[in-house]
Amino acid sequence: MTDTTSTTQHVPSPLARQTLLDRDLVRPFTDRPSIRLLPWLHVIKIGGRSIMDRGRQAVLPLVDELRRALPEHRMLILTGAGIRARHIFSVGIDLGLPTGTLAGLASVEAGQNGLMLAALLANDGVSYVEHPTVANQLAIHLAAPRAVVSSAYPPYNHHEFPPTLGRIPPHRADAGAFLVADQLGVRQLILVKDVDGLYSADPNNPGSSTPEFIPRISAPELAAKPGTLPFDRALLEVMALAQHLDQVQVVNGLAPGKVLRALRGEHVGTIIDSGLVSAIGAGGPRRVAAAPNIG
Amino acid sequence: MSVTTAELETLLIERSLTDEDLLRATESVPEYRVLPDATVIKIGGQSVIDRGRAAVYPLVDEILTVRKTHQLLIGTGAGTRARHLYSIASDLGLPVGILTQIGASVANQNASMLGHLMARHGITYVESAGLSAVPLYLNEVHAVIFGGMPPYGMWIRAPAEGLIPPYRTDAGCYLVAETFGCKGMIFVKDEDGLYTDNPKTKPGAKFIPHITVDEMKAMSLHDSVIEFPVLDLMKSARHVRSVQVINGLTPGNLTRALNGEHVGTIISAN
Repeated sequence: MTDTTSTTQHVPSPLARQTLLDRDLVRPFTDRPSIRLLPWLHVIKIGGRSIMDRGRQAVLPLVDELRRALPEHRMLILTGAGIRARHIFSVGIDLGLPTGTLAGLASVEAGQNGLMLAALLANDGVSYVEHPTVANQLAIHLAAPRAVVSSAYPPYNHHEFPPTLGRIPPHRADAGAFLVADQLGVRQLILVKDVDGLYSADPNNPGSSTPEFIPRISAPELAAKPGTLPFDRALLEVMALAQHLDQVQVVNGLAPGKVLRALRGEHVGTIIDSGLVSAIGAGGPRRVAAAPNIG
Repeated sequence: MSVTTAELETLLIERSLTDEDLLRATESVPEYRVLPDATVIKIGGQSVIDRGRAAVYPLVDEILTVRKTHQLLIGTGAGTRARHLYSIASDLGLPVGILTQIGASVANQNASMLGHLMARHGITYVESAGLSAVPLYLNEVHAVIFGGMPPYGMWIRAPAEGLIPPYRTDAGCYLVAETFGCKGMIFVKDEDGLYTDNPKTKPGAKFIPHITVDEMKAMSLHDSVIEFPVLDLMKSARHVRSVQVINGLTPGNLTRALNGEHVGTIISAN
């Protein structure tokens, strides 16, 4: 076989002549931990259905709590989509629209919840920002203000994965919040829901068994359990690939003070440990030392 | 099992989105194929575009002819500049999400260059493979060009090891084909298809004309020819359950593949 790459114009680099598909060839050049870009950032994901859809009685106390947290912590506040996303899933599926289209349509609802939440905190210097700002400009946008709000949905849109079952986009607000929090290397991710955390059975629909509270569990353990979850199942999949975040905490946003306590590092809900790989190849530990709390 | 519109709405309003009955009900509604007459072709970066005029001009001529009877969504790979950027960025320890954005910009450069070569035929580069004006291009000039990287950016799923984005232009182009229910997906590379080993470095490698995803994994060939996460995406796909990898340096191959001929390696989900 002749060397068919010989006519290719290469930019010299260790990867220039390798196929990126061959992990054995690529590993020596890319096998190292990535740095934490924003180790002082706290990411708080506010449930759409569990919090925002409840309106004033749930949202205003939580906004007040977030306001009180501003002097202590710099925050990226992300919002879920809620009941309107369920409606557009229903109409869209009935029309036969593809999953990737449903993803884009539902993410609009998460954005609307974010706009509303940000408006309530505008007086405290908090604004709604779009995805490109979250990806690349948080450093400047959090240099003076203490927090920004954005949509928790990931920008998967027409590139959403085909689901293994059904037509609902698998990467929704919880998975989206984890993905970006992990890539940014933030201090912690808190998922704010309307339950104290995880139970052995759905507390809103327990069936025969009495739901028992689970204070702490690992993502792989949870993934192995059948039944419904209070967040996207894809969250557990992406947690298994975590590069920085070794846990998330599910916290009850209807219980006064819990979000603030979780922000301070207290265990007030269910902590889910991610499958953070402790060592890879010959590159040594992937785990990066916990960042100092300079929030 | 089939559900009525009202039943589906009730399930969606009342149940958890992780509820299996709900997911099964959503599966039962027939899906509408948005662009069933279009084929997605991915033009390799390193394998085709980085070769310059010698490889690109003949392929452009072939596309301009074949589009008279086919609608083409043309996605581009990234290639050698992306490798240079990946080398530097991973050496600096930057997160995968940054490398993903960098890779996307290189694929977009390649799409822009191809767009210039086809501009006088009305075919240009569009910034997103999302719908927008794409159907109008397909209807009027039968082709449109887009950068192949998926838009995941800082929301990309991390790789199991290392810092190279696991979903690159193969995945990005494939998902466009699947989401829009396209007719097919053709990867245009510089090899005839899949071999039992890397044909560029192992002269004894044997050509494989047809293979399933499971066979590829069993033979440990999942790290070759196309990005391995595409294989898992194919397994759960509804529309594009097989793809063909062809040699774009051989004149006529693209035309024949578009006409349904088997000229490279066909990889199928089952």
